[in-house]
Amino acid sequence: MAWRNIWRNKVRSVVIITSIALGLVAGIFIMGLYDGMLTDRLNTVIRQEVSHLQLHNPEFQKDYEAIYSIEHAMEIVELIRSEDYVKAVSARTIAHGMLATSTGSAGVQITGVQQDDEHLVSRLNDKLIEGEGLVGDRRNPIVIGKKLADKVKISLGSKLVLTFTDREYNIVSAAFRVTGIYQSANAPLDERNVYVQSADLNRLMLLEDACHEIAVLLNSDNELVVAQQKLSGRYPELMIENWQQLSPETKLMIETTDTYSIIFIGIIMLALMFGIINTMLMAILERTREIGMLVALGMNKLRLFLLVLWETVLLTLAGAPFGLILSWLVIMYFNQSGIDISSFSGAAMSGFGFSSLLYPEFPWLKIPLVLYIVGVTALLASLFPSYKALRLVPVEAMRQ
Amino acid sequence: MDTIIDAHHVTKTYNPKTIPVVAVNSVHMHLERGEFTALVGPSGSGKTTLLNLIGGLDKPDTGSIMIHGTDITRLSANQLIDFRLRNIGFVFQAFNLIPVLSARENVELIMQLQGLPKNEINQRVETLFHQIGLEDKLDTRPAQLSGGQQQRVAVARALASRPQVVLADEPTANLDSKSAANLLDIMAKLNQEENMTFIFSTHDQRVIERARRVITLVDGKIFSDTAVVDTSLPHGISPA
Ligand SMILES: Nc1ncnc2c1ncn2[C@@H]1O[C@H](COP(=O)(O)OP(=O)(O)O)[C@@H](O)[C@H]1O
Ligand SMILES: [Mg+2]
Repeated sequence: MAWRNIWRNKVRSVVIITSIALGLVAGIFIMGLYDGMLTDRLNTVIRQEVSHLQLHNPEFQKDYEAIYSIEHAMEIVELIRSEDYVKAVSARTIAHGMLATSTGSAGVQITGVQQDDEHLVSRLNDKLIEGEGLVGDRRNPIVIGKKLADKVKISLGSKLVLTFTDREYNIVSAAFRVTGIYQSANAPLDERNVYVQSADLNRLMLLEDACHEIAVLLNSDNELVVAQQKLSGRYPELMIENWQQLSPETKLMIETTDTYSIIFIGIIMLALMFGIINTMLMAILERTREIGMLVALGMNKLRLFLLVLWETVLLTLAGAPFGLILSWLVIMYFNQSGIDISSFSGAAMSGFGFSSLLYPEFPWLKIPLVLYIVGVTALLASLFPSYKALRLVPVEAMRQ
Repeated sequence: MDTIIDAHHVTKTYNPKTIPVVAVNSVHMHLERGEFTALVGPSGSGKTTLLNLIGGLDKPDTGSIMIHGTDITRLSANQLIDFRLRNIGFVFQAFNLIPVLSARENVELIMQLQGLPKNEINQRVETLFHQIGLEDKLDTRPAQLSGGQQQRVAVARALASRPQVVLADEPTANLDSKSAANLLDIMAKLNQEENMTFIFSTHDQRVIERARRVITLVDGKIFSDTAVVDTSLPHGISPA
């Protein structure tokens, strides 16, 4: 009966069902956009910046001193590389120091790598916009970020001096020649980070075959927990962290974005709720006589309440399937073509490490929550109309 | 004898604080099972008010109304709803049926509210639609039925719950004379076949003629109460 009642005033019900569907489309689309943005950001974080897992000497991250290294790093790297869940491994030697040229200077993090390994872990070669990078036989090549190159006014082929401390706390200075300039999606990082060959840096820092950081890229994101457990078990003396621990700001961003998209849906539903309440109040007003008669015939309050409640819930939920299907279609369309948001946010977004072309994804995991919110909306919206219906006195209602 | 209605000293005043209207004034009334009674009187004489009081839709200011042994003036609002569901059948003047339900569903609704099992409901629906001669309209919506047919379905619905008494407030008021006669035929037949007690208000002379007892109200008081003696009928008639 509730379902048939909905179709008594077709136009009104269709308007409500349509607006619920459209509200859902808007909400789910925004969710999908956020999800696409986060997936994109997450891929950048994992595949171009921090990788899945990093191994350190537990002391190292406290004060970044050269002495807190991972000994016999090459053996460990080979062992990890042979695991079937591991895609690539890069051993990094890290020093904090000063970069100086005749035209300027800057504080930098010097990362010593083997370019091929580092490329497999963080796509270093793809980021190169000038030069060949750390290849060739010449001593002390260096790759610096575009941002830093502009800041200290140097270009490909320029010479510069790096100053840092070795493992015996001696100050070491060495000359390097710029053989590559890179640019990544993360501008602040480009300004701070320079790459040299690990062989050069290890020699200067007296580290032999040690390193400070082993970055591990896995075959799949899903293997993160297992891989972390396995490696922690095997190397109890090392600190093994995953990307969430290494980049807590990314984790936080994912969580807050999720919260925002839920709040967004909540606000849309709240707005729709008033439309639903209004519709149902009108429906009850039109049916005053009929409801009075039902009570006269012996329909008790609970049943009457449930009748109106059920009608409201059905009316609200009827919009959900259309909303879901439509939002899926819209998201799938833009998932193929992408949305260029550079026109209205461009530089700002890439400043935070986002690409400007977004590919929204259908937020499957959040759909149950969305449906839950719609359900709660329906229930809340039904309370007032149901209450109004209960207040009708049969003799008076029927006299109308 | 089986007393169905026993009302004493029933008074109902509308707007007691502003312009009081004494709609029902110290009415006494006694009805036995199987009576077929017309409640007549000019417009505004209190017929609807009295039927509402007997049906437990409204409460009197004074007096008691016993329906088959229960004093309904002492029931709470919720108890009254349940009492109506199980003991009173209503036929209203118009717009009796729920428009979104078929004729059958309108009749079934009451029995579903009573919680009767499905097979019993089906049987009862079949019998009732046969009795009102609308077996072929079971799945028709009210809007597709004529006014007379709608009232017949309403009568079937009133009887569906096997109430103690059926109260019909001007059931023929919106019908042409042929449909009205037909409706009265059906009511009389059900009165016979099911030994169902009927009270119907009316001011249509042809309808009054069909009753076997006529109670006349004037200004909320019982003006006369006459039995129509018909020795061919087996049912007892009790003059007041
Ligand atoms: N809700 C009400 N409020 C005030 N007066 C009413 C109300 N209902 C009925 N009345 C008055 O009570 C009297 C009896 O009305 P009613 O029972 O409807 O008579 P009938 O059904 O015989 O026409 C009339 O004078 C009518 O105006
Ligand atoms: Mg009346």
